[in-house]
Amino acid sequence: MPVIRFIFVRFLQAILVTMAVTLFVAFAIRLTGDPVVMMVSEASNVTEEDLARIRESLGLNQPFLMQYFEFVKNLARGDLGDSFFRGPVWDLISVALPATLLLAATSMFVSILVSIPLGIYSAVHKGGLADQMIRVLSLVGLSFPNFWLGIMLVLVFSITFPFFPASGFDGLASLVLPSVTIGIILTATNVRLVRTTMLEILGAQYVMVARAKGLSERKVIYKHALRNGAIALVTFMGLQFGNLIGGLVVVELVFNWPGMGTLSVEAIAQRDYPLLQATVSILAIMIVGVNLAVDLIYGLIDPRIRVS
Amino acid sequence: MMSTIGGLLSHLPRRATLFAAIVATLPIVGPGVAGAQTILNVAQSRDPQNLDPIDTFRLAWGSVASNIFDGLIHRTEDLELEPGLATSWEFLDDDTRIRFHLREGVVFHNGEPFNAAAVQYTFERLLGEAGAAGPQRANYTSISAIEVVDEFTVDFLMNQPDPVLITKLAGYGAMIVPPQYIEEVGEEAFDMHPVGTGPFQVVEYSPTIGLELARFDGYWNGQAQVDGVNIRFIPEAATRMSELLSGGVDISLDIETTSVDTIRNNANVDLVTVDGPSVTILRFNTSEGITQDPQVRRAITMAIDRPTIIEAMLGGLASPISSAQGSGSFGYDPELSPYDYDPEGARALLAAAGIEPGTEITLDMNNSNDTFREISQVIAAYLSQVGLELNIRSHETSVYFNDILANGRTGEMFLFGWGGWTFDFDNTAYLLYHTGERNNPYIDDAHLNALLELERSTYDVDVREQALQDVAAYAHENALDLPLYNTSTLYGVNQRVEGFVPAPDLRMRYMDITVN
Repeated sequence: MPVIRFIFVRFLQAILVTMAVTLFVAFAIRLTGDPVVMMVSEASNVTEEDLARIRESLGLNQPFLMQYFEFVKNLARGDLGDSFFRGPVWDLISVALPATLLLAATSMFVSILVSIPLGIYSAVHKGGLADQMIRVLSLVGLSFPNFWLGIMLVLVFSITFPFFPASGFDGLASLVLPSVTIGIILTATNVRLVRTTMLEILGAQYVMVARAKGLSERKVIYKHALRNGAIALVTFMGLQFGNLIGGLVVVELVFNWPGMGTLSVEAIAQRDYPLLQATVSILAIMIVGVNLAVDLIYGLIDPRIRVS
Repeated sequence: MMSTIGGLLSHLPRRATLFAAIVATLPIVGPGVAGAQTILNVAQSRDPQNLDPIDTFRLAWGSVASNIFDGLIHRTEDLELEPGLATSWEFLDDDTRIRFHLREGVVFHNGEPFNAAAVQYTFERLLGEAGAAGPQRANYTSISAIEVVDEFTVDFLMNQPDPVLITKLAGYGAMIVPPQYIEEVGEEAFDMHPVGTGPFQVVEYSPTIGLELARFDGYWNGQAQVDGVNIRFIPEAATRMSELLSGGVDISLDIETTSVDTIRNNANVDLVTVDGPSVTILRFNTSEGITQDPQVRRAITMAIDRPTIIEAMLGGLASPISSAQGSGSFGYDPELSPYDYDPEGARALLAAAGIEPGTEITLDMNNSNDTFREISQVIAAYLSQVGLELNIRSHETSVYFNDILANGRTGEMFLFGWGGWTFDFDNTAYLLYHTGERNNPYIDDAHLNALLELERSTYDVDVREQALQDVAAYAHENALDLPLYNTSTLYGVNQRVEGFVPAPDLRMRYMDITVN
């Protein structure tokens, strides 16, 4: 069964990629700082003896490969271990991961909701005033730094007109500003993509045939053109999802969103090795997973790809 | 602890039905319609990460846990020591034994009684295996044993004098914990849901998000005014400000100097300031380079106009200092005044020391302090006026403390910020000047060592004060470092809050505060 083989190979690849990423991260972070020194950074009267004792209790006196092996062994059993500073890693991840996924999903949703109609309209009325406006606006959107946009939205919609909470995750109303922030940035790219894709397709011969058959313009656009454009769009948006997860970090900090980005940044600042290794592994698994899913969705949309 | 998305969503207010369809499959357990509950909302930059007193190393812990726990001693916002869970104490057997008489009728939040056994358990835990894995133990190693005399009397046996011990019993690692509860739930559960004797009890601690506290009706010393306190952890300064200005929180800790004008211009929010423990100093490499020469160090000190920096860069919210301590610190000498700004004198001193104009020197700093990053540029400008070209090297905080500072790899100057919550110069002076301290890569001076060992070995207040003032005077005379300023502790407080008393050391107690 080629499909099963395909999934199996990709699955092995995913494990290898994850291993390589965590090994690199685990190694690199240990070169740059000692969590024990961070721990005592606000305490006084600390002797080298105290430091050694804390290191031993955290298992940091073991050689690097032993520490890494221990991490991988536990990971394989689904145990993410304990953070140096704050209890079981899983307790932290189980709050942060859904929060990040929720924000990523709503952002994508906002973006798709806006960019597909606008992109199609722009392509169909190519060269018109609306098309020009959409193109200019998307260029403006591309040029915004996302944190700046976030702060501006808070300024307008939380402080001047207090419609939405300024930060945190307390009620669905607090999802609006961060989702719109990321959604706008994504929309800027997506609109252009939809427009280009549609333009290309609307010039294709089978569209001419469809029109010649006397199909309504509506049917031509949505049934024939958009469906054929879907492959390119799905690929791109799927890959974008990976980038999106990475880009979320900054926006999460601006909105104090209790997600994976906030967690990773804190783990780096404190040299919390177990927590950082876990967050990075999970992000790597997710990105690899999304790529795999994109490949599989191809098959669903376009049967021709299924065989090869 | 509920730690799923369902747990998060259960905090939703009932009115949030707009997108309910999206999450219809998730359990939404509303908190119930709140009656006339008054809740105080607070923002602070950092998450304490672990609520157990022996595991903490953060000021953020002090800001929340001072509401949950009590110590034997209580320190007021005016830095006065007064009876806490101990009603009185006395020094016996040539000061090798300290006897504490304990308060009767005190209970922990779980109903467990407070007594001598709880005190013994607290300190044996701190000094034993559980404490050894944390950073707090080191502060209390002068205690060799705890002896229970009777149910409400307990003796501390000392293996060496510790003049700051009584102060240290008022905070952090010395907070009294409940023996039965810890044995019952285990160490890990206690980290996340501790029980103390304080005016508020923990309802739920959500790591990185916040901490919910509720009034403890059985408190021994009066009643909290509000029904609960909701503390949120918001690392981004701009986000904290947004919440404060939009009324999302009533009180914000950790106000950045750059936000001061915004708060002052806002009609609903007040800026409340108090002299804090934190000092910012520049230290010198006294063993290599041109800063080996005391004349050069003094010249650099005279070349920088500190009052102007405080006024222009810090909005006046800091005080000039002559040593690495503020005016509230034990060991502060009001007679010792900082070197005046004198660029002429500085140039003359540099010429006398044979330093060519245009000589380059380097300042190392960590990159976590936005305000200081700007000030470092101003310092570079002042130094160029006397013919010194300053290179600034900025390092990531962990790298800076682990490597650059600890291994003595700094340039001629390096940044150091410190603030001991004990407000005793011993805390800062010892780590700055005593030979072999981790944070002291360069200074090795027999005179300073002798003074520091003297003040640390006696309970005699006058002897200690004199010794600490001598340390400060000696450091000043030899320009061992360049004390820049003592920053105020800043709070942003909404006007609907009443009874707010700012804690200089960020150990806020929310008991007497009301919200209108």
